[in-house]
Amino acid sequence: METYHSKKMKKLLSILSLLAVSAAAMAQGAHDFRINEVFVLGCPKACMQSEAGDSGCVAPADARCMRPSLLKDEYGEPASWIEVENTSYSTHEIRNCFITTNKAVLDPKMPAPEREKLMSVIPAGDPRTLIKAKQRITFFVGNRNRGTLHTTCVVELKAGEENWIALYDGNAVDLLDSVTVPAMQPGQTYARLSDNTWQVCEASEATPNGPNQEYHNDKIREFKEKDPHGFAMTLMCMAVVFICLAILFLFFQGFGLLLAKIVNKVTKPVVQPVVNAGERVVEVAKQATMETKGIPMETYTAVIGLALHEYFGGTHDIESGIITIHQNLHSSWTDKSHELRQTPQHHIATPENHTSK
Amino acid sequence: MDFVAAKFSDFLTYTGFANVEWANIIMIAVGAFFIWLAIKKDFEPLLLIPIGLGIILGNIPFKAAGLEIGLYEDNSVLNIFYQGVRQGWYPPLVFLGIGAMTDFGALIANPKLMLIGAAAQFGIFGAYMIALAMGFEPNQAAGIAIIGGADGPTAIFLSSKLSPNLMGAIAVCAYSYMALVPVLQPVVMKLLTTKAQRRIKMKSPRQVSQTEKMLFPIVGLLITTFIVPSGLPLLGMLFFGNLLKESTKTTRLAKTAGSALNDIVVMLLGLTVGCSTQASEFLTLDTIKIFALGAFAFIIATASGVCFVHIMNLFLSKDNKINPLIGNAGVSAVPMAARISQNEGLKADSHNYLLMHAMGPNVAGVIGSAVAAGVLLGFLS
Repeated sequence: METYHSKKMKKLLSILSLLAVSAAAMAQGAHDFRINEVFVLGCPKACMQSEAGDSGCVAPADARCMRPSLLKDEYGEPASWIEVENTSYSTHEIRNCFITTNKAVLDPKMPAPEREKLMSVIPAGDPRTLIKAKQRITFFVGNRNRGTLHTTCVVELKAGEENWIALYDGNAVDLLDSVTVPAMQPGQTYARLSDNTWQVCEASEATPNGPNQEYHNDKIREFKEKDPHGFAMTLMCMAVVFICLAILFLFFQGFGLLLAKIVNKVTKPVVQPVVNAGERVVEVAKQATMETKGIPMETYTAVIGLALHEYFGGTHDIESGIITIHQNLHSSWTDKSHELRQTPQHHIATPENHTSK
Repeated sequence: MDFVAAKFSDFLTYTGFANVEWANIIMIAVGAFFIWLAIKKDFEPLLLIPIGLGIILGNIPFKAAGLEIGLYEDNSVLNIFYQGVRQGWYPPLVFLGIGAMTDFGALIANPKLMLIGAAAQFGIFGAYMIALAMGFEPNQAAGIAIIGGADGPTAIFLSSKLSPNLMGAIAVCAYSYMALVPVLQPVVMKLLTTKAQRRIKMKSPRQVSQTEKMLFPIVGLLITTFIVPSGLPLLGMLFFGNLLKESTKTTRLAKTAGSALNDIVVMLLGLTVGCSTQASEFLTLDTIKIFALGAFAFIIATASGVCFVHIMNLFLSKDNKINPLIGNAGVSAVPMAARISQNEGLKADSHNYLLMHAMGPNVAGVIGSAVAAGVLLGFLS
């Protein structure tokens, strides 16, 4: 009965530990997304009046500033966009998260269904929403009927004005990131730099789906400039290697001594007479009398050997002391193999073993 | 008939004979030399045979016609095998096997020998300084210098992260010098020791309890990875393998990790590293520099291990002196370096057995080089 319970308990514990591990793994992800760069399409009213095309809101002046294809959506038309970056070193899914530009969602008392009405959900079912480590995805503002990468009309970015943009988790309650984009000149973007500060950039510097700054391994450059001969590196690395192994050394030195003390304490009553005998024999031997006093020489050797072994701290491996006897469930009644003999060996008659009667 | 002739002449353009260059012939000769060293001279055959054949395989000339056969061609079988090197998952698997095969008992019995394993890592940083002086970038210098740790998997792991363009040369150099340890180390050891010092007899190590052996991988993992988290893939797998062995409850897993799994990974690792040394990438001035630096690194590592024992002996009582011949074992070429200590010890005194003593710094060297790689990765990546 107990065995049954303990087995059940073990099973339960393993399921719980698995759940704990999975929960920890699932808890990460969405919080690694952040808004990385924003482009607001549009230009001052004067410009729009003089150069507006057929589409009304599209500003040709703005389009002229743009690098071809970089600031346009997949249909080749200019559009405002919001770039989101996965800042972690693992792949995460951004589907079902929300983008909004309506500050009303900041009201903590607003229920989730109400919030969702003010937000544009990132739809599921598009492999592009699975974002690899340190990669980015760009969402074009408006025109949802053009695909996953377009937000619904609830998201609006107004040219020449301050815009607030927020990214919410799938529950529409947890704010993942938000940014207030200042009023910018036509063709400018608002980009986050590596030190988490924001900067207004010219269109020529816009990098949708790309890093906002050219990547430099500053560490290598710094080492090259400040430690051209490698002395500092050598000093630091050797110190770390020594510290690691010195701590291990100290731990096991201390632990070994402690263990030796414990083992000596346990074994002392048993081995002490032998040690004493060994020491007495050594004393006799020291007197340089080669007489064996009737005791065989082998006994001397054995006792000295054992005494020296114990004296120099020799300890035996600790054995478990458990002997497992497997019960044989079968007998001759149930298993015929018990009745069988091994294949008899052919007895070859040779002159040596053949004896004639 | 014209059709057959046209097709046959087209076929001829695909053959190795039509595409061969002198560089290919030189590399194939290098591969054959490695195989000869392994078979005839018994220099690390488990490594040099796969690497040697890999070099030949990687330098078979063929027409680049999108046949998906070359190592660097996407989706080719060799390219798939090569991902283990490029992405760095073979080295931790090799470390798993090393952990499952290593008995840290000698180290636990005499923990002060760990410091020799630390001192020998100076070979890495000595080579780092020389590499910088030779004009390599810090990240390249670090990738090359790790050869001084005498640890092939660690060298591959670090160079794949810091200097992937030099990885082929670094890997071949590391394994070549590991095979040449019996040639390089004794000279340095003899130069730095007197006859009397070589005859020092060390106290036999105490027996180590199973509890200590079980505790070692856990404590070792916690201490080393808390200090150097960047060494996690190597140190984690090393101590995991060792725990499988010492826990006594997972003997089957330890056996697999130390035999079948390790053998498979070593085969694929050796073969693909060999293949990666294609003539165009390998026959450069940088490769010659790397080989020269590798030799320096090994010599400095051996010398620093031996010299550190001399320093330790200044502080130890007469009965506890350490034979400086075990200093060379601070590099992590397990168990070759320890075997050299044993052989040199026996040459000086036919009754002096140093193998068990040398295994202490030898396994400490494995930990030390993994820690050193982790530190370099942390500083430079």
